[in-house]
Amino acid sequence: MLQLRELQKTFFAGTPNQVRALRGVSLQIEDGSFVIVIGTNGSGKSTLLNAVAGSFLVDRGAITIASKDVTRWPEHRRASMIGRVFQNPFSGTAPTMTVAENLALAARRGTKRGLGRLLPARMQKTLRDRVATLNMGLETRMHNPIGTLSGGQRQALTLLMATWRRPDLLLLDEHTAALDPKSADQIVRLTERIVSEHKLTTLMVTHSMQQAATLGDRIVMMNQGSVHADYAGAHRRHIRAEDLIRRFDEIRRDERLDLSAAELLRDAYV
Amino acid sequence: MTLLLSAWTIGLILALLALGVYISYRVFKFADITADGSITFGAAVAASMLTRGVNPVTASVAAFLAGCVAGLCTGILHTRFKINQLLSGILVMTALYSINLHVMGSSNVPLLSVTTITTYAQSLGRWLTGHDSATLLGWPVSARDVGSLILVFAIVLVITLIAWLFFNTNLGSAMRASGDNEQMIRALGVSVENMIVLGLCIANGLVAFAGALLAQYQGFADVQMGIGMIVWGLASVIIGRALIGTDSVGAALIGTIIGSVLFRLIIALALRWGLNPNDLKLVTAIFVFGALVLPMLMQKVKRHAAAS
Repeated sequence: MLQLRELQKTFFAGTPNQVRALRGVSLQIEDGSFVIVIGTNGSGKSTLLNAVAGSFLVDRGAITIASKDVTRWPEHRRASMIGRVFQNPFSGTAPTMTVAENLALAARRGTKRGLGRLLPARMQKTLRDRVATLNMGLETRMHNPIGTLSGGQRQALTLLMATWRRPDLLLLDEHTAALDPKSADQIVRLTERIVSEHKLTTLMVTHSMQQAATLGDRIVMMNQGSVHADYAGAHRRHIRAEDLIRRFDEIRRDERLDLSAAELLRDAYV
Repeated sequence: MTLLLSAWTIGLILALLALGVYISYRVFKFADITADGSITFGAAVAASMLTRGVNPVTASVAAFLAGCVAGLCTGILHTRFKINQLLSGILVMTALYSINLHVMGSSNVPLLSVTTITTYAQSLGRWLTGHDSATLLGWPVSARDVGSLILVFAIVLVITLIAWLFFNTNLGSAMRASGDNEQMIRALGVSVENMIVLGLCIANGLVAFAGALLAQYQGFADVQMGIGMIVWGLASVIIGRALIGTDSVGAALIGTIIGSVLFRLIIALALRWGLNPNDLKLVTAIFVFGALVLPMLMQKVKRHAAAS
């Protein structure tokens, strides 16, 4: 279970560029739940994911994963509990190292790394078998540098790497946004399969309302650094992509209203 | 022939320096100028121990460990105190200058009258040739030169093998990945900071070990001997990369060693043909500049050719 209590984060505090990225976000995500996070640009959804992953420490609040308080843990320590896939397909793999080496590094996520061989023969066979389950023909390219593969192929491997050891929490940060439609589709289906197969607790950020409406069992909508709406259970089942888009339009209209109201006031009083 | 043998031997000794630079520069993209100080540090530690009658093997291993400490300092300055890479190296290198003087007790320590690794090499050469001198391809060579070359070659071979094995362990692979993609390896639970510190430790250990061997081979340690050594290492690494051209560890390691030997041979030839020794560092720097810029220029030319 993932528990976020009153998370707050301000970037560039005390400067003209100050951004209040998280303004008291609280969420509780049950084990095995697949949560989709949506929101406009700058709403804080990626910041939320990075806060959970430990890319930075929050100013206030607490983060608990599988009943361990990880609020003060550095990123690499949290990695023992978290699997991650990034938006940029190049971010999740080491380009000059081979496919097999990348996977073997991931197979030891969060464990102590000693002077044992990275790729003993037994490991090589396991790696090849698991890669074959992707049905992308990559098992014949195990010894190629991973940088020679396409974005879609790398993202599929990153997904496999993130879930090689079962993570307590899987974080997907718009992991299909940088791919062509066909590859994106492939990755979405792979995500669905892996998450349901291993019953992974998942937090996925997406820009696609289509993905939001069809994937997962709960939708969290972020706006201006806080949770704007939270659809779960029966509520979630009745949501369609159009409903989400309408909700976005409402937010946008409210914001425009705010701005024009401010302008009116300024004209009247300043 | 003696000149050629000595160029080979020094090229191989400095290949250990180049291996150290390979770790800092190729694996971590960290231009670690500590090397200038740590090669002298290694020479100083070994020399002062040898003049006190310590066994040459122990003295050389001590030099390696001394270099590790220097690398540890640079690594900590950079990762814990967030000091810029180059500046961390400069600080440690500068501090080492004074430390080296203290260790040696003077600016130069001669080693001609003490037992060194070269003494072993001479015995090895004598045992192999049966005399104090021998003929190689019709040229007279001394047993000492032949023995030194064989011994140094064996040492470099063993160390390269160890380095290759290390880079294929879980720890060594995590180190390579830290230089290749920080974000990825962090997400897999590795502290990139610790990897940098460990990497610089090993790198400077190798550099100092090279210094220890060099001092014993040339028969003295000098406080100035480290100047410009990082550029030498870079030249070797760059030549090695140009020759081999792949990213696989084994090939890169072998390339680095060939690069070092080749560069030493080129320099020896240039000196033979009348290059002023005072111009050596200048030529080296220009060479490295050329090697760094050339790939960029080539790409421009290619793009031009493709466009027209």
